[in-house]
Amino acid sequence: MTLASLHSAFAARPHHFAAFLVLGDPTPDLSVELARAAVQNGATMLELGMPYSDPCADGPAIQAACDRSRAAGVSTPQAIDVLARISAALPDVPKNLLVYGNLVHAPGYRAFCERVVGAGASSLLVPDIPLEESGPLRAACRETGLGEVQLVGPGTDPERLREIDSAVDAFLYLAGLQGVTGAVQDDDAKFALLERVRDQVERPICLGFGLSTPEHVRRTFAAGGRIAVVGSQLARVIDAAWQGGAGDPAKIVDVFGEACRMLSAPAT
Amino acid sequence: MTQIDNAPQCGGFGDYGGRFVSELLMPALTELADAHREILFSEPFLAEFQAELAEWAGRPTPLTRVPHFSTEARLDVVLKREDLLHGGAHKTNNVVGQALLARRMGKTRLIAETGAGQHGVATAMAGARYGFETVIYMGARDAERQAVNVQRMELCGARVERVESGSATLKDAINEALRDWAESLGDTHYLLGTVCGPDPFPSLVRDLQAVIGCESRAQFAEMYGGRLPDAIAACVGGGSNAIGLFTGFLDQESVKIFGVEPAGGGTHTNRHGATLGKGTPGLLHGARTYVLQDDDGQIKHSHSVAAGLDYPGVGPQHASLRDSGRVQYVAVDDTASIEAFRSLSRTEGIVPAFETAHAIAFAAQAVERGWLPEGASLLINMSGRGDKDLDMYFRDHA
Repeated sequence: MTLASLHSAFAARPHHFAAFLVLGDPTPDLSVELARAAVQNGATMLELGMPYSDPCADGPAIQAACDRSRAAGVSTPQAIDVLARISAALPDVPKNLLVYGNLVHAPGYRAFCERVVGAGASSLLVPDIPLEESGPLRAACRETGLGEVQLVGPGTDPERLREIDSAVDAFLYLAGLQGVTGAVQDDDAKFALLERVRDQVERPICLGFGLSTPEHVRRTFAAGGRIAVVGSQLARVIDAAWQGGAGDPAKIVDVFGEACRMLSAPAT
Repeated sequence: MTQIDNAPQCGGFGDYGGRFVSELLMPALTELADAHREILFSEPFLAEFQAELAEWAGRPTPLTRVPHFSTEARLDVVLKREDLLHGGAHKTNNVVGQALLARRMGKTRLIAETGAGQHGVATAMAGARYGFETVIYMGARDAERQAVNVQRMELCGARVERVESGSATLKDAINEALRDWAESLGDTHYLLGTVCGPDPFPSLVRDLQAVIGCESRAQFAEMYGGRLPDAIAACVGGGSNAIGLFTGFLDQESVKIFGVEPAGGGTHTNRHGATLGKGTPGLLHGARTYVLQDDDGQIKHSHSVAAGLDYPGVGPQHASLRDSGRVQYVAVDDTASIEAFRSLSRTEGIVPAFETAHAIAFAAQAVERGWLPEGASLLINMSGRGDKDLDMYFRDHA
């Protein structure tokens, strides 16, 4: 699966609820089941994070998700294996990968892109490789057919926004707040930001950072967003179910599926 | 496979450096880079900076010959006394410069990471003097082993945030400071303490620490009838005291330059911080540099008895100097550093910080290990004093 599948998904429906999961959280097997539950309950896209030791752009909930996955022994090759299993189960669902730069840099940008395309990724967001440093990564994405996603935020000025918009070929990931994932800040500000950015760019916009309720998802679409991604809130759901359920897989999948069902309602 | 050009586009040192950070931090880095370029070398700023370094920080610091230690080491050792700077370490140079810069940029709040606590103390002091709200991020493990420095920070009015994530050391404190800055960059300056991190920090901090090398060169010439030292050495964690010293001598080919990394429990084990000796190029905390990492790119935990050297990355300029061969990076272990801590205290009445003790240990071993010929003159950056380490020394090593 590559960029083409993403374009088909945008053509097929205007609005997508994307569930974010860290690959291997809380275990590889459960991670596959959670992805399946998300899609059964209305997610039409997935955003999948590679577990990393130092996720600087993420808040506590996603850090903890990375820690759970790494505590379960999930290395990058195993995370790519989990991705391949999710892709086998859900072949038509676009999968945007969120990967910190050093994990892409370590094997070489091209080699990394080849591996994840082979495992079914449709696009890639590397949060710590901004526009200026993205040349080599962009070349690797283009050569392998992997879509490129770049982060933009409240402080990205209009000129820079246009440059980033014309550089990427998948979509723009708009951080709705100045901060890290999962922070709670003024809701109105992020939808006003989305409306402002929407009018300045060509690419579809995915809104993330601080979305946690069905109302947030609904307002994302109302303000012109094509994808609403919920991450930290779902990581908290997994955390609570994992701690509280004493590892009962069926219960964790149920609770997670129910959360996705509610969050995805505005997209259907 | 085609070879991908990895050279960074922003503020690179050859293949190293760059701005590998989230887009959310880019506006702050652009603003800081503009200030670095436009303000730092302006007359009014330089005048203010130099006046503060003299009146408040106590510059210039002296050079001190250490004859008894020199006899034991079979070298002619001279110390650049950054331990006598206000605050007890070289960190104050950088902090005064960045705080004055931040004030001119209209910032009202300072955040900083700290390992050994020296940079945290220096930032807390500057926060008090220049009227900033100050928050220091410190690994919980470091806060425990450097408790006196935590007290000094709090006494100066800073809030100390203990970071429990990861290895609960310097690396994790930097992660947390970056997260704070992503949210607070409007009114906050991230006062990074070393020559690491995204551009412009490696060159900004170098420019503010260059006073060490500049002064040393003139003072050594004065002391030795116009000569240059045969060699210079400094400990390297992130590498700011080393870059500060080296900058004064890089253009003098006759001067051998040594960076001393922490070998911890031994570089053949997993318990060390010898990033340049044992690491590989990677992306950490905003820069492409040498990193201690596994094959997949997960960052490894470092180890050193010296909290300020306990870091799995290193400043990108050091990475470049390593590859070019201009600087030779060697490693000495915990045991040798503790012995050097004891030795300099007993022979000269000067108690070095555990970090600095690595450079002292280099001198003690230099002839034996063939790094320097007997009788060579060696200028060492005495980067900090050891008061903060006394509890740990008497508890674990006496």
